[in-house]
Amino acid sequence: MSRLQTILVIAAGMASLLSIVLAPFGEASPMLQVFAAIGILSLSRLKRPMPVWVDAVLAVFGAWALFDALPLYAVEPPYFWLAVIADWLFAWLFVERLALAIRRGQVSNTLGVLIPVTFGLALLFAWEIVVRGAGVPQVILPAPSQIAARLAASVPTLAADFVQTFKAVLAGFALGCGSGFVVAILVDRSPFLKRGLLPIGNFVSALPVIGIAPIMVMWFGFDWPSKAAVVVAMTFFPMLVNTVAGLNASSSIERDLMRIYAANYWETLLKLRLPAAAPFIFNALKINSTLALIGAIVAEFFGTPIVGMGFRISTEVGKLNIDLVWAEIAVAAVAGSAFYGVIALIERAVTFWHPSVRGGRT
Amino acid sequence: MTRGNFVPILVVLGVIVLFWYVMAVVMNAPWQETLNGRVNLTNVPFTEFALQTWGQDKPVLPAPHQVAGAIWTGLFGSAITAPRSLAFHAGITLGATLLGFGLGTLLGVLLAVVIVHNNASDRSLMPWIIASQTVPILAIAPMVVVGFGAVGVTGMLPKALISMYLSFFPVVVGMVKGLRTPEAIQLDLMRTYNASAWQVFAKLRWPTSVPFLFASMKVGIAISLIGAVVGELSNSAGGGLGVRLLTGSYNGQTIQIWAALFIAAALAAVLVILVGWGERLANRRMGVRA
Amino acid sequence: MKKLLMILAAGAMALTASAAMAQDKLTLQLKWVTQAQFAGYIVAKAKGFYTEDNLDVTIVPGGPNSAPEQIIAGGGADIIVDWMGGAAAARDKGVPLVNIAQPFKKSGLMMICPKETGITSVADFKGKTLGVWFFGNEYPFFAWMNKEGLSTAEGGDVKVLQQSFDIQPMIQKQADCISVMTYNEYGQALAAGYGPDNLTIFNYSELGNDLLEDGLYVMEPTLQDPAKVDAYTRFVKASMKGWQYALDNPDEAAQIVVDSDETGAAELAAQRYMVGEVSKLVDATNPALDLAAYDRTIKALVDQKIISKAPEGAYTTVITDALK
Repeated sequence: MSRLQTILVIAAGMASLLSIVLAPFGEASPMLQVFAAIGILSLSRLKRPMPVWVDAVLAVFGAWALFDALPLYAVEPPYFWLAVIADWLFAWLFVERLALAIRRGQVSNTLGVLIPVTFGLALLFAWEIVVRGAGVPQVILPAPSQIAARLAASVPTLAADFVQTFKAVLAGFALGCGSGFVVAILVDRSPFLKRGLLPIGNFVSALPVIGIAPIMVMWFGFDWPSKAAVVVAMTFFPMLVNTVAGLNASSSIERDLMRIYAANYWETLLKLRLPAAAPFIFNALKINSTLALIGAIVAEFFGTPIVGMGFRISTEVGKLNIDLVWAEIAVAAVAGSAFYGVIALIERAVTFWHPSVRGGRT
Repeated sequence: MTRGNFVPILVVLGVIVLFWYVMAVVMNAPWQETLNGRVNLTNVPFTEFALQTWGQDKPVLPAPHQVAGAIWTGLFGSAITAPRSLAFHAGITLGATLLGFGLGTLLGVLLAVVIVHNNASDRSLMPWIIASQTVPILAIAPMVVVGFGAVGVTGMLPKALISMYLSFFPVVVGMVKGLRTPEAIQLDLMRTYNASAWQVFAKLRWPTSVPFLFASMKVGIAISLIGAVVGELSNSAGGGLGVRLLTGSYNGQTIQIWAALFIAAALAAVLVILVGWGERLANRRMGVRA
Repeated sequence: MKKLLMILAAGAMALTASAAMAQDKLTLQLKWVTQAQFAGYIVAKAKGFYTEDNLDVTIVPGGPNSAPEQIIAGGGADIIVDWMGGAAAARDKGVPLVNIAQPFKKSGLMMICPKETGITSVADFKGKTLGVWFFGNEYPFFAWMNKEGLSTAEGGDVKVLQQSFDIQPMIQKQADCISVMTYNEYGQALAAGYGPDNLTIFNYSELGNDLLEDGLYVMEPTLQDPAKVDAYTRFVKASMKGWQYALDNPDEAAQIVVDSDETGAAELAAQRYMVGEVSKLVDATNPALDLAAYDRTIKALVDQKIISKAPEGAYTTVITDALK
């Protein structure tokens, strides 16, 4: 076992021991006691190795035991939190050992998806336990179970909001990235323009979007065009800067080769410089995908028809429906990740030749 | 900014300002016509009409000189400690920005070091770090500030935490790339020297990642400013440029909005330039040529 | 020596006496930014009425995206200024807010429409775009629409816009009608050249659609502590003194509000106008809750399904009775 794993094993064992020791006799949930007892027994692996999956089973069992023990108190006593720590450490141990096993080829690589999944589940679980175990008021931070329930109950509202916001996101994204790209190519032909426009462009891209939004609403009205305008403003400059950097990415030896072939400007652009710029362009597209979503949502704070993700988030806070707010945020996060993922997939297909896509690690 | 950039920037600026004046006339015209109609002023010659549109009290598009004037009075018109002074509010925003940026850079570097050295962390953390940026923290910043207020964290810290959330991501991404830049041949050399992981880090990985760190820090500090400004929206007691933006917005004081916006952008530009100078200093001390 | 000892003893007694008269700390969360809508409290603090009653009051301004109900639920304030709609909705959600005083007897909410839109009565609303604020300010509007039988859902009789906190939507012609407060945005409209001769004005109070506005709310568990109830009583007494002072000295009150604004955005003329208009809504002599208005407000909220049922114990007269 590596040093980290030894530390984790001992810590988990200690936490379990303390949990049993501090538990008031007869009052604590039996399931939790069993979990802590097994946790202490797991220290035996210092003498004899245990399979990887033992930790996974232990972590899951611990989670179940902790959930079971929740209703006992409004605010949980220390032994409960020690059991939470022990459970977290077992999950961590599992992830560590699984990663090692995959690297050694003992376990297939497809199971590697369990690692981020375990981490995510552990985070969600910790959130749920802390909110319910420490008695956090629902109007400050609701538990994931409440958010999920609210999400399931509000699908029509969330769907309508999603459609309204995404009209702005997609329109603004297309227009902003498209115009950034076109301007970059224009600027490329004129070094004078490049030297003059780029510093100003960096300045303008630093303008906080939150200030542009009310101005855009004033100019373009309340409906989605003003939100699309905000998205255009946010996505234009990252696209411009990255495309310009990408157009410079082709090395001089490659450009010399094109000259030898008597290629004119446009042929060089299309066959060499644009493909070479593709990694940079996709980098900008990925950044812009998250910026576009945030821009559209925040722009909706400043006057909208009564539908839209930003509208819902801001007004439901006022109505103290915090679980609906978080449900909306969850939808936004999933949508943003999906958007990012689609672009990443297209990037893998288009820039298949780039080292970061072909793999290899240092 | 070498002399080579100065003239082109001036030219482009000049064109933009000209375009701006023209657009000010176009966009302020409808309201000006309404105003003129109210006092039964008809057949106003164009030059006078243009001058009127550039002098409106609450214009749809303030003219450049109106914005410049507001910036001037905002920065120099009142004592730097007076709540009316834009410099005062810029200072508040700057404090939260720097704190958030510092925390974000620290967090980013720590995460990157852990990710590069521990395979399990790499596989578990990276997807979630990327996903974290899809959570629209700007949208829930007000709720976050109130939430922190509930546990007694008030003042500059909640805004700084929002800035930290936004700025740690470019630092993590950049540093992970940077810490992995050393070529296999260089890593092999360190292995032949029997270097421990810490020595490989200190002597090889960290120096190669410095350019990536500075590039990420430039992005990070601009984003930190935006985070601080957004965090201020829900805490008007704390002051700051975000609060001035908002009060301007709902008092209909459009010139105020533009003045605060420009100062925020100028602040971001100054901070990025300072980071750039830091980068050149670091590069020179580490022996990077050009 | 004896004299010295007596002086020391007297000094010690004075010290303990002043320690016994230590001030109670209270945090007041306003519903909006520092403006003359809250003149009573700001003036009371500036003129020292709170310290006279042994209160150390911190006034925290609110703003957009800031819900006083959430702040008091999180322990960020002891007393909040809130509209009854928001407070009742919060109580329905499990935040035990209780009304302890209601200085604002009348509503200042109005809907104004430029005459160019052709709207002269409620019947003309069909097919038009109406601007409404949210964050607790939308309940009177939705209750009114419900009463008139106009549907506000997507594709309904009227199109509802979440309005920004200024009159730009009306100027930009993006909304046919906008919501204004008599004491704030209506002043902006007047300054922009609008007035009763070119506006159709719907005043919620005159139409009988008003819901109770600025009242003082505290968390119910704190009312079990007699020391706290006493502190609240003194607070309301000093606040009403502040209101009376503000109503009698509007110019000075406006100046105090401008000086107290930490953002530096408040302007004297606008605040002077606001003090004048707010005076018409506030009864500085009697902060007690008018039960008829309370019942009407709660009924409107229940009809609109903003709250599931009429709340129990949502107000208390303990403090206002003590001040009679």
